[in-house]
Amino acid sequence: MRIIVVDPTICVACRNCEYACAFKQTGDFDTSASNIRVNFYPEERVCIPWTCIHCTEGWCMEICPAGAIARNPETGAVEIDPDACAGCKMCLLACPSGSIHFDGQAMVSRKCDLCGGDPSCAKFCISGALQFVVAEEAHAGRREALDERLKRLLRLERGDVNPEQGGR
Amino acid sequence: MQIVIIGNSAAGLNALGSFRRLDPDSAVTVVSEEPGPAYSRVLLPYFLRRRLPYERLFIRRREDYRRLGAECLFQAGVERVDPAGGTVCLRDGRRLPYDRLFVATGSRPIKPSIPGLDGPGVCHLWTLRDAVELDPLLEPGRRLLVLGSGFVALQAAWAAVQRGLKVAVLELLPRIMPKALDERGAEILAEQIRAQGVDLRTAAQTEAVERAGDGSFRVTIRGSGPAESFDLVIVGTGVRANAELLLDALPEARRGIPVDARMRTGLPGVYAGGDVALGPTAYGEPHESHALWPTAVEHGKVAGREMAGHPTAYPGSLNMNVTQMFGVTVASMGRPAGAESGIRIWERHEPEGPRCVRVLTRDGIPIGATVIGESADAALLGQLRPFVRLRRPLPEPERLVAGGGVSEAQWRTLLGRQYARAGA
Repeated sequence: MRIIVVDPTICVACRNCEYACAFKQTGDFDTSASNIRVNFYPEERVCIPWTCIHCTEGWCMEICPAGAIARNPETGAVEIDPDACAGCKMCLLACPSGSIHFDGQAMVSRKCDLCGGDPSCAKFCISGALQFVVAEEAHAGRREALDERLKRLLRLERGDVNPEQGGR
Repeated sequence: MQIVIIGNSAAGLNALGSFRRLDPDSAVTVVSEEPGPAYSRVLLPYFLRRRLPYERLFIRRREDYRRLGAECLFQAGVERVDPAGGTVCLRDGRRLPYDRLFVATGSRPIKPSIPGLDGPGVCHLWTLRDAVELDPLLEPGRRLLVLGSGFVALQAAWAAVQRGLKVAVLELLPRIMPKALDERGAEILAEQIRAQGVDLRTAAQTEAVERAGDGSFRVTIRGSGPAESFDLVIVGTGVRANAELLLDALPEARRGIPVDARMRTGLPGVYAGGDVALGPTAYGEPHESHALWPTAVEHGKVAGREMAGHPTAYPGSLNMNVTQMFGVTVASMGRPAGAESGIRIWERHEPEGPRCVRVLTRDGIPIGATVIGESADAALLGQLRPFVRLRRPLPEPERLVAGGGVSEAQWRTLLGRQYARAGA
């Protein structure tokens, strides 16, 4: 199955993903309805988008006392059925990444459903920080990316005048 | 193998599911005193306040049991278990042999022994049948007395408020929800409850209950003057483990069936979980009763795997729960109070609204939290969970301030943008 993979180093905090998701859910642009959130830390100059990663054994699915959370057999997405949801919020407690939020109007919990297989957030991401990729391949290239960072540090330590040259 | 699961709620159902994932072939029988298929006790208050229709209370269908290859014996009470003979003895005389037995018989509500507290109009809110019988009694204008202030009692009170009843809640102890909330949290919730028109009294002891000629109740409360009239009483003063079926073999199981981190009872092939069990906690206690849905789910999953021959060491119950009532989200984890030494407390109270977030740590490791307020704050408990489970200190524990305020920057780091979004 495919999931949204996040690279915070290239996110620019434009929040297109939040607007796109809110629009997809509600037809409007109030980002409190978005299932993806970008946390921005101005002091550290870091922005981190994050959404549900559709765990294989999702804590939310296991804990829901209404049986309202189940995996969509076609997309593999873990989805909340708003008609079955009682609004108890146990799923909010269960999710370790805080990726479920509560809709205080409808009094149900809400989360990413991968837009039925064509996620809006990744489509509108201007930097490529959000990629909709096959889960098993999501971390290909991580070792190489780690090596690049370590190479840069090692060259700095050795006193290379410009460690940017000759590499990324 | 022949597996028998006694119980058809959170623990039993999760044991069935996790067993089947690993063992598709062994025969499994589910025995329950109640009619099946399974319903969710957690949803009963949401039904009473008309948030969910009756049909939505059921969390399994007959075909789910068929698909999992489980033979169901519903409306079948268990007389006792014979561990030496490896047999479950049903009240109707049938005997079920087992190789592995999971006892998930849950708990039942208890009533304080107050003279006159019985008969029609004295209700519990525990089973589906309780809810169905209570539903027509919740008529606007009727006077309801709720005894107790735990999750069940307050949810019953809230449902009644929404159905237009006049509600009084009596709690024996000096603060409400004593097992889940500390003093500050309890005060804040109590304000919310009173703001909704509930006559909430703490340190209140009911002395006697008498019937008037019209069937209503005349209740005498210590120190409160003359008897007061009520039409209906809901008792939510606690539960007792349904451990009787094992008492012959485990006489110490009176308070509940002690189990280890693999849900083993010590009797060969016999496991227990859910409300009936006293299991390990994430805070180091070996045998505690956490009669909560999330704990029962976890017990069931561990027991299912264990019975299938794939033991997992359960890291312990978090004593975590959440509910929505009186216009606020109330969530708690671990231990509510924090008067002892070595415990540091982060607090954040909002003067303008019902908002209280409190995290207790020991050596920087979170051991408890309570949240009253916005739903986003409840998500904080989920984010604290890995730190509790892994016994990992929160980031920068040396910046925690005992008992006092926490800087805005520290809260933003801990809660992230959700907190800012909620309007702080």
